[in-house]
Amino acid sequence: MKRSITRRAALRALGWLGASGFAAMLAPKTRFALAQGNLASLGPEEGVDATVKRLFAGRPIKDGASVIKLDLPLIAENGAVVPVAVEVTSPQTPQSYVKSIYIIADKNRRPLNAKFNLTPATGLAYVGTNLRLGESTDVRAVAEMSDGTLLAAKREVKVTVGGCGG
Amino acid sequence: MADIGRVRIRIPSSIKPGEVIKVRVLVMHPMEIVERKDGKPVDKNYHFINRVVVTYGGREIAQFETSQSVSENPFFSFAVRATEPGPLKVTFLDTHGGKYEGTADIKFT
Repeated sequence: MKRSITRRAALRALGWLGASGFAAMLAPKTRFALAQGNLASLGPEEGVDATVKRLFAGRPIKDGASVIKLDLPLIAENGAVVPVAVEVTSPQTPQSYVKSIYIIADKNRRPLNAKFNLTPATGLAYVGTNLRLGESTDVRAVAEMSDGTLLAAKREVKVTVGGCGG
Repeated sequence: MADIGRVRIRIPSSIKPGEVIKVRVLVMHPMEIVERKDGKPVDKNYHFINRVVVTYGGREIAQFETSQSVSENPFFSFAVRATEPGPLKVTFLDTHGGKYEGTADIKFT
């Protein structure tokens, strides 16, 4: 595989980072007064049923275990980094595609981990990331199709050491 | 902390036209989690990435809404149908107004 980051490029990037960091220190702090990371803008602390109700407003969720491939470890030693991959085996065509994939960890304080909005240009409804899980929990993936159908799959993960918060 | 916002993108080394490729991207970021004091969450502007935008050839093809329950130094992978040569750009936006970008060039071999 081709190394795309050369030493030269890396050093230059670091130089720029240093310079921009310095500039940020000089810039008045008030520019970032818009606190979008405060508690009010986070998802509310709630049970998973409330989250599902808030997101999908009681729309029926079908069992999608046959089309959603949810790749998770059975036992996660470290709850702070739990790799997850979701693949929906349905072709991404402009007529019918997976619009969004939600990843929800049932026992996290804020159960919605991430929402992935996709378009047909992705070619395959596949997303992966690393999750923080507070304790052993069910993790569900909900796929919203372009016609509004909701499909869900669920897997349990045993967490040895919690990833605190989340 | 000087490393915040360093983005690494990995795409397959050889790509055929029309092929669906899997892209992996990593960004250095603390993804602060909610602090608690006496069991109550502390209200402050937490520093974490809440939006990721993927564009290919200038068109937005995917957009992720992320929360603090994504690990530190977040990693994402996703698929792209390589229809034309062009830049694949991933932009990360955080709650403190930070914007971090990484680009990979899709070329056919």
